[in-house]
Amino acid sequence: MIVIKGIGWITKTEYGSIIKKLQGNYNDLKSLHSHLQHESVLKYAIKNFGRFDAASKMTCCSIALALNDAGITYSEHMKHDIGILGTNNNGCFESNLAYFKDYVSCGRTIARGNLFIYTLPSTPMAEPAIYFGFQGPLLYIKFQHNQIPSMLHYAGKMILRRETSKMIAVEASEEKSVCFVLGKQDNTSTMKTLSLEDIIDTIKKISDFDEIVIMLQRKGAM
Amino acid sequence: MTGTKAVVVACDIVTPYGWGIDSCWNGLLSKKTAIGRFDRFPTESFLTQNAAVVPGLTYGQDKSIVIKMLKPLLQKNISSIPEDTFLILATTTGEIDKLERHVLNETTDAASSRPDKLLEKILLLCGLGSSGIVVSAACASSSIAVAHAAGMIISGENDCVIVVACDSVSEFVFAGFSSLMALDKDMAKPFDRDRNGLSLGEASGFLLLMSELRASRENRSVIGEIAGWGLTNDANHMTGPSRDGSGLAMAIRKALKSADVSEKDIGCFSAHGTGTIYNDSMEIKALKTVFGNHKVPVYSIKGGTGHTLGAAGLLEIIIAFESLNKKIVPPTVNLCNIDNEASGWVSSEPLTVNGSVTISTNSGFGGVNCAVVLKKY
Repeated sequence: MIVIKGIGWITKTEYGSIIKKLQGNYNDLKSLHSHLQHESVLKYAIKNFGRFDAASKMTCCSIALALNDAGITYSEHMKHDIGILGTNNNGCFESNLAYFKDYVSCGRTIARGNLFIYTLPSTPMAEPAIYFGFQGPLLYIKFQHNQIPSMLHYAGKMILRRETSKMIAVEASEEKSVCFVLGKQDNTSTMKTLSLEDIIDTIKKISDFDEIVIMLQRKGAM
Repeated sequence: MTGTKAVVVACDIVTPYGWGIDSCWNGLLSKKTAIGRFDRFPTESFLTQNAAVVPGLTYGQDKSIVIKMLKPLLQKNISSIPEDTFLILATTTGEIDKLERHVLNETTDAASSRPDKLLEKILLLCGLGSSGIVVSAACASSSIAVAHAAGMIISGENDCVIVVACDSVSEFVFAGFSSLMALDKDMAKPFDRDRNGLSLGEASGFLLLMSELRASRENRSVIGEIAGWGLTNDANHMTGPSRDGSGLAMAIRKALKSADVSEKDIGCFSAHGTGTIYNDSMEIKALKTVFGNHKVPVYSIKGGTGHTLGAAGLLEIIIAFESLNKKIVPPTVNLCNIDNEASGWVSSEPLTVNGSVTISTNSGFGGVNCAVVLKKY
């Protein structure tokens, strides 16, 4: 059976996790990075964090919260058989616009490579894969309906198909992110887990992100 | 898992060689490249003025290049696509020329370049009422999409899935790759000692997969089987591959295991083979890690078609099935002086395929790797 082992979330001003019931406020993404390092949620600084686009910053931070929630440790020298599936509404639309407007403003003669690399929808998953050492499958999927429940269902199927042993499923945009750690139920572990099917059933009727976080907090408190 | 096989029952492509699989296959066998000078947008300030574009498509008008490729292709094949087919669209930038036009002269809505908008159009073009998804994983987008389509069928989730893949040569992408110094000034020369980068290309295509049971029930002729796959990430660097090829080697091993075949069963190998110094070297290291002294014939089609980005995987899987069914390993176009590292693995001449199993691999930005095992049916 596939279960949810940890959940991290970030809104415009707050961040938190569900199983360990962590919660805090932040001003901007730079301060969020500092907060998470200070609380040892991030074990070491994320290299080049300042040049990431906003979606990549949100993705990295929500994954750190979810891993911490799941009790999964990592280091600069460890790699893990963990896959990562990302989704959102717009792909990398904002980064595409930023890159091409910058190129046009430079007279259409030279583009900025460090903006170009964020014009792939999968880049916000690639940055954390490098930082956390995820060696499993990596992909972005845009689902037509019910983004978060569809993403959770899809990630669970990838584990059942033995493509990897654990999956990170993350929805991230410039202003919000929620990340889930999925894996097979381990009957020898004492760590609390949540039923994947129950979470999918609960959140598939909710479209508002803040309401989803509140509902997840209720599930975590049970 | 249901124990059923995922088989390919229909496919078609448009490439810089022209419309249809035969034009691409014959172009590769002729050893002539489709890469050349093009005039879609000003290129004087970039590393090269060459790319591989589909002949006869006009750029910068109302419809995007990918729709100009996909509309005739899908309309021609619509009778072979059942109404209950699930759609997976694979692309990296889709209709990005619409965003270009918005920024350059505000003639289009920039949001119309989003991949979900393209998905809606393709559902209509395929005559499908059901929903679909967009898969994007850099240059492995469509090979991962094909692997997952097979996964949906083998697990019993769907019994008919279509993968549609597309990407175009745009100013947006061309300027970006030029800024990363990733383009060869002349033309991509995969596995050549004088290679110095990739050439951009464009293509679109589709692959229709069914469960073996449904294909048999509907009397479909079967092109081949998607027998297994392996997906990994290097977790190493954003734009460069892991130098030792370990991430790709892991993907190939996973794919062999999932297809329940050994390296000795592999008759030939379709490499990603972009023509960049690091990619091609990494691939040969991965091959040596997995295959050891058992040298299999390796080829890359990108010296002919250019690097078609998100469409590359699907295009290469279709050519790999042609290779298996015709028992010919296509030559690596533009290969003149084989790199020492690749000696004995690649060839500029067509060879005979010994075996009924092949592997097609792709790697991309962010360190993503995909290996797909294909079997003759």
